Amino acid sequence: MAAVTNFEQFVKRVLEIVFWVLILVPMVIIPIFFVVYVLPVEFSCHFSMLSCSQQINWSAALYLFSPAELNPFSPTSFISQMGLGANSMIFKSSFFPGISFAAILSSFVIWYERKLLAKMQYRVGPQYAGRVEGWLQSFADLFKLMFKEIVIPVNADAPFFMGVPFALMALSGALLAVIPISANIYITSSPYSLLIALAVLSIFPLVTVLAGWASANKFSFIGGIRALYQMISYEIPFILSVVGIVILSGGTFSLSQIVGAQGRVWFVIPMILGAIVFYITAMAELERIPFDLPEADSEIVAGWLTEYTSMTFGVINLATYIKLYGLSALFTILFLGGWNGPAPIPGALWFMIKTIIVITLFLIPRGAFGRIRIDQLIGFGWLWLIGLSFANIFIAVVLKATGIL
Amino acid sequence: MSTTPAQPILPDEEKSILDFFAKLGERTKVVFAKPNRIKINVTRENLVEVTKFVRDELKFDHCTNVTGTDFPKDKQLEITYHFGSIGGTGLRRIILAVACRVPSTDPLLPSIIDLYPSVNYHERETAEMIGCVFQGHPNLSRLLLPEDWTDIPPMLKAYRLPGRLEEG
Amino acid sequence: MSMGVGSAFSTEKISEDKMSISVGPQHPGAGHFRFTVTIDGDTIVDCVPDPGYVHRGAEKQTEYRSFLQSIPMLERSSLTDVTNIIMPFSMAAEELMGIQIPPRAQYLRMIMSENQRILSHLYWLGIQGIFLGHSTVFMWPLGDRELFIDLGQMIGGARITYSYAIPGGVRNDMPDDFKDRALKVFDYFEARLKDYEKIFFNNPLVLKRTQDVGVLPRAEAIKLGVVGQTLRASGVKSDTRIDEPYNFYKDLNFEVPTYESCDTWARCMVHLVEMRQSMDIMRQCLEKLPQGPVRVKLSPQQRAQAGEAYARVEASRGALSFHIISEGSTKPYRVKISVPSFRNLIALPRLLIGSHVADMPAIYWSLDYWPVEADR
Repeated sequence: MAAVTNFEQFVKRVLEIVFWVLILVPMVIIPIFFVVYVLPVEFSCHFSMLSCSQQINWSAALYLFSPAELNPFSPTSFISQMGLGANSMIFKSSFFPGISFAAILSSFVIWYERKLLAKMQYRVGPQYAGRVEGWLQSFADLFKLMFKEIVIPVNADAPFFMGVPFALMALSGALLAVIPISANIYITSSPYSLLIALAVLSIFPLVTVLAGWASANKFSFIGGIRALYQMISYEIPFILSVVGIVILSGGTFSLSQIVGAQGRVWFVIPMILGAIVFYITAMAELERIPFDLPEADSEIVAGWLTEYTSMTFGVINLATYIKLYGLSALFTILFLGGWNGPAPIPGALWFMIKTIIVITLFLIPRGAFGRIRIDQLIGFGWLWLIGLSFANIFIAVVLKATGIL
Repeated sequence: MSTTPAQPILPDEEKSILDFFAKLGERTKVVFAKPNRIKINVTRENLVEVTKFVRDELKFDHCTNVTGTDFPKDKQLEITYHFGSIGGTGLRRIILAVACRVPSTDPLLPSIIDLYPSVNYHERETAEMIGCVFQGHPNLSRLLLPEDWTDIPPMLKAYRLPGRLEEG
Repeated sequence: MSMGVGSAFSTEKISEDKMSISVGPQHPGAGHFRFTVTIDGDTIVDCVPDPGYVHRGAEKQTEYRSFLQSIPMLERSSLTDVTNIIMPFSMAAEELMGIQIPPRAQYLRMIMSENQRILSHLYWLGIQGIFLGHSTVFMWPLGDRELFIDLGQMIGGARITYSYAIPGGVRNDMPDDFKDRALKVFDYFEARLKDYEKIFFNNPLVLKRTQDVGVLPRAEAIKLGVVGQTLRASGVKSDTRIDEPYNFYKDLNFEVPTYESCDTWARCMVHLVEMRQSMDIMRQCLEKLPQGPVRVKLSPQQRAQAGEAYARVEASRGALSFHIISEGSTKPYRVKISVPSFRNLIALPRLLIGSHVADMPAIYWSLDYWPVEADR
């Protein structure tokens, strides 16, 4: 710290100290005081201190740290009553079924994809990270990425460049927020959850183009433009393929009620065309092979991802795989009956099993196909997929009007 | 290298090629004629004309190689074109070499790119390697050597590779 | 789109609506080679190749070495094709030295040459797959290649660069268990080729990406002087093994594939058929292999007579020829190498101009351009 040599610096130093005191006291000291001193008393008086005449009991402070009180799943524990229990928004959105669960699941999906591709390609895949078949490989990769340097190109638009990973993670999280895992486990429930999911998905191309532009690199720019063409021309069949489902479930946009309407038969059977269109357009939205033009690495290095290094790249990759999980979950809810399944297995576990099967279906074409060209892709999207989704809507209307479903 | 008389073991196609060049008279000089390989010498004034005959009459339709050699003892550069034939009957196995000698102090000769578009990059490489100039070539810029090459053309005998031991 | 104007690499001013990209040596789609394309929307309007990044002056270096000493240096110009690039050098040297090599040596040269052809084509197939985005077709050929590398190792002694076809014959004889092992490998590989057909050559997405893409008509192919698979895919049945048979190819039965469609798919199919034909040739050679010496013993500083020699073979990528001028000493006076990659380079701007940007890697690699070989 520089020495104080005149009055101006002295005033500055005093103001600094006052500033830090004003910050620290409400944020640290008062909560500690509250937790240690006031809360035990409140708790032991069952939160009605006004009627409590006991004296402050210091040993009550130790009561807080017993394991039973830290159990989020029990509704009467201290943690739950603080608003951090299993039913609270913070727990649901950050632990289960929210971001942490999705991130860990996506890390395992990355490992699973590498193993699956390896078996298709006469290789063995990850072998060493973690003793058994390299199951910790993606965590090892994330750990390694943390130590690399974050490089922002000189000509790049730094706020937008650095904002893209955050935006993608936020969007993927927003997608997860409206998808229920079982009848009781969801982050939010809304009568328009399907619409919210589709709306969130349609913001992704904007962020991708922003990444391509902000990187100040010709290859990134081409990749961003290609991503824009691809995602926008596949939005329309994507949304249209879902319209049939909405019709069949009685006009509701709520994902929970759509699953409820699949009690008798899963919608994949009458809506097979819609399922196929959804599958193809979802692969285009996820930029997976055969639709990975925006990241075609033999032509445009890595497309719009070119300039992203270390953790920015890690976060973008994780956000992409969380989106994969989100879209597979959406497919399960819309077409495969969500959490419906025979009794002894809980609904949430059925949901997870079905979602993982759908994820496998999304991963397999990577080993079997090459890349499709941009003009062939757009022709295919606008002509064939829209036609198929209209046929699908027609089938749904017929089935509903004749009362079969 | 002197002219050799036609060997008795030459097949018919080579003999007819030699007859054709005999008809051209003074413009060409046969250097050697072996089975499958014939080499003639032309001057730079006759180069384009003779090459036109080679393409149209003899049906040698593509150029396979261009070699530029430095002969400091004669103070000459020799540029040899090798031609092959796909369309001509029975000519597939024959490679015809047309050589042109230019003085080292005046290394200009006409380019045959209008007759054989395939010599484009070959002539560029020969020009930068031995320092000759093909007049009429649309773009005689550097091909293999780096843009900042300031030394003499490397295939000249006067250029010695730096760092190599010279033996006697 | 003014972002692309005047980048650090381009030296000319591009108009406001065109973008100039340097597909340079640091690009996963190019190898050690650079070409600059100018793009207008999704169409390529100009292409300027810029070889020379790996020019090592091989021709100059032959003037410092005797004929035998040049062999290891020359073969490293074309790593996937080592036997075929030194064979015309040895043939021309033998012509100048006035010697004839024994027949067993010629058969062994043929066996190694065809083995090399399969190796080169498998590597080509792997990279063609990855350029089309197909990672499985990248992994399978490079794995199957190991079998043929093992075969080459049994004869040559090294995995990649064996310096096998030296002036005077070949360096080593073939071991006794080579034939059984080779036949087993051929049986396995013929079954695998059917898998390759299913996943790559008959894959509808690959067909969409390669049919009618990069069409080079027959007359232009001959005029531009292209060689190898590019020429044969344009309908010209030209192969040095039948045009001017060397070694003992005239005693063997094999077909030279040609296709009329002249597009990228035809070039891919020519590679596939040639792999099958190579195995067939190797089988016939193993049947017909005569006994005898494999080498004429020459001194390492063998003197060549004065004169010129021009020898050519059918390398994996096309017709490769050596022009050697000798003044009667132990070192050659001038060696000029004419490689198929360099001769096919002129087709690259011709094919790329007017095509989509996304076709760039597919067309570029189907010409089988090997930058190190082209630069020598």
